[in-house]
Amino acid sequence: MAKKKWISCLLIICACIVTAGCWDMRELQDRNFVLAVAIDKADEVKEVETFVQPHGTKRYRVSLQILKFASGGEQKEETNTFIKSNTGESIFEMVRDMLGQSSKSLWFEHIQVIVISDAVLKDVGLSEILDFFKRDAEMRSRIKLYVTSGKAQSIIEFNPPSKEPGGVYLANIIRLHIKNVHVVGSRTDLGYTIQYFDNNSNVLLPRIEMSDKVVKLSGSAVFKKDKFIGYADEYAVAGLKIMLGTEKSAVVTIDSPKTPGHQVVFELFRHDTKLTPHVENGVIYYTDDIIMYGNIGELQGDISLNDTLDPEYLRILEVAFAEEIKRNIYYAEKVFKKDMKVDPVSRFAGKLKIHEPNTWEQVKDQWDEIYPTIPLYVSVNVSIRNIGNHK
Amino acid sequence: MANLEAKTSMSAFQLAIVLFVTCIGAQIMLTPRALIAQAKNGSWISVIIGGVLFYIATYLMLRLGKKYPDETIVEYAPRIFGRMGGIFVIAWFNLVFFLQVVTIFYGVGKIITFYMFDRTPPEVVILALLVLCTYCALQDWGTILRIHQFLFVIAYSILVVVWLTSILNFQPENLLPLWPVDVKGVVAGGLSTWGMYGGYECVLLLLPLVYRKVSLSKLAKEVGLAFIGVTLLFLIIIVVIIGVLTVEDAKNLPFPALIVIRSVELPGTFIERLENYLLVTWIPVVFDTLAAMMFFMAQICMRQWRHADHRPALLLLVPIIYVGSVLIDNPQIYEQTGNLTMWVGLAFSFGVVPMALLLSWWQKGKVGKDCG
Repeated sequence: MAKKKWISCLLIICACIVTAGCWDMRELQDRNFVLAVAIDKADEVKEVETFVQPHGTKRYRVSLQILKFASGGEQKEETNTFIKSNTGESIFEMVRDMLGQSSKSLWFEHIQVIVISDAVLKDVGLSEILDFFKRDAEMRSRIKLYVTSGKAQSIIEFNPPSKEPGGVYLANIIRLHIKNVHVVGSRTDLGYTIQYFDNNSNVLLPRIEMSDKVVKLSGSAVFKKDKFIGYADEYAVAGLKIMLGTEKSAVVTIDSPKTPGHQVVFELFRHDTKLTPHVENGVIYYTDDIIMYGNIGELQGDISLNDTLDPEYLRILEVAFAEEIKRNIYYAEKVFKKDMKVDPVSRFAGKLKIHEPNTWEQVKDQWDEIYPTIPLYVSVNVSIRNIGNHK
Repeated sequence: MANLEAKTSMSAFQLAIVLFVTCIGAQIMLTPRALIAQAKNGSWISVIIGGVLFYIATYLMLRLGKKYPDETIVEYAPRIFGRMGGIFVIAWFNLVFFLQVVTIFYGVGKIITFYMFDRTPPEVVILALLVLCTYCALQDWGTILRIHQFLFVIAYSILVVVWLTSILNFQPENLLPLWPVDVKGVVAGGLSTWGMYGGYECVLLLLPLVYRKVSLSKLAKEVGLAFIGVTLLFLIIIVVIIGVLTVEDAKNLPFPALIVIRSVELPGTFIERLENYLLVTWIPVVFDTLAAMMFFMAQICMRQWRHADHRPALLLLVPIIYVGSVLIDNPQIYEQTGNLTMWVGLAFSFGVVPMALLLSWWQKGKVGKDCG
């Protein structure tokens, strides 16, 4: 019996040697945390950076923003990230070749943002660029995607004045899209973009630009399926968000009805938006019924003339705001439907598929041709609930 | 046998727990993709169809078992089907468990190496889990039952809590249209949910432990409760997957359940990559399913070979299971094995069991007539 116990103990100890610890162990300090990726067209190929390719050309430049772990010692460093870049065609191959520039393995689990230059997207589809990121197990679904008309590398080289790591800063800007109606932010990350591709939907991504050391998100890059077709401005994005009911808050400005040349601002707090498809005798049309509740956020004219305590004046403002919102929606409709001929994020197609599946089955193959001819009827009601702290 | 946990009876509720735990195993991660690809937005209906269908199959098994209260199928199959027929049915019964076990081992090895230990060969993961499950299955039923009960409370509650965090990304619109355009796909999907519900066949082995204590109606009620629980859990999983990912996205992902959890960001917390938490709670769930199934396989062999102890049979099965798992070396073979498993299981539940029931009725009627 004692012998058996000894053998059991020995077996357990042997098992510990084999099973304890971690086969896949990689220490934290032995990793280079990639926070942001920039993808540009390969403008100049620097020999040391790149590698001999058996296939393809030096088509893209991939730049990685990596977190510095060590503090700068006595002298505080200006940045807490650094950039590595490479040129090639396969993003994965470039990333692996970049290990030649790194003393530690590159770790993508904490990647925050991917910035893509539109010069790249004019040549290839977005899905081709994102394939590596959607396939690799290290990537997160909530990686933010931005498109820029300039150089993507410059964006990730940006050092935030707040001293946050650049990737984190860039990713956090989009979180404020809830209050900024000029930015498309809802469902524009990697996970949702892959979903749009799988659903054969069109895609919108936030546009990011940099000039004079200022980085700003505004407007939207518009994609037909995965093909980049241009940019929509801030006003069109605001109209689209209101049209689809994806805004959480908005600021609507009008010229003051009583004091022209001065502005009155409505701050949206709550809305009820219903975009509904209708099919009558084979004719498809959409109605967009919007009810908005909010406050007077700013009034620039003479307050004795713009008497916000007068219920009649408030009714006039409500009608004027409703008209402005309608105008904004029709502007967005013109930009997306008439000019770009694109169903933004295929929301109109999705509504038809959900509510009228039989009609959808009949028109789905010709949807791109039919969509620009389908009318949209908008009705807006605005209710001013509060005038603020002052009349 | 030295083990004091040798169990000669258990309650109907304990049987329900065993059913629940055996049915819900690795398949919550492994099968949703195939079901969603087949039944699309009607997948939730397929899950309900499957629940009803396999409850009926289990009820038939309970009726069959009632005719032979102190015996398992291994003992009464030769009396119903004849000696050779009995051997064939018992081999078939064991094959149902074997195919499930090897596909689960393969799937688990694949998921864990891809999402957790990318540099570990899947064979090592399979081997480690196999050793663990073997150790558990070497115990007597009392120990295994206690593990089932323990994990039923601990692992499943954590699993459900982790899973429900995905509601943060849930879009009800993705579920529409609720009523399927493709009715055929939904019905076929109902049959293919066998992959999810598979494991209920264990009642044919466990009934002698329960029968002397409870009536058939009570048993049917408790088993029905287990099926309601299993169906609800599968419904939550399928509905959330479609609600978060959409049908078209889910069918392009090998393991959509993991991507659903991976998409969750808990605002204001440092907790991230929730798929690791899900996997950590899923491993015990898989472990208890596999351990139970391996125990059942060993029990079938033990009874067939008229041994007093299931352990030699289990140790003999271990290398066969390992080789079977590593032989599935690509997704195509995995899919084919999955289909084979489904048809073997369906044919057993809806072919062999009803036939056994009819034959046993006929034989007993004949005996009654002859006596009279």
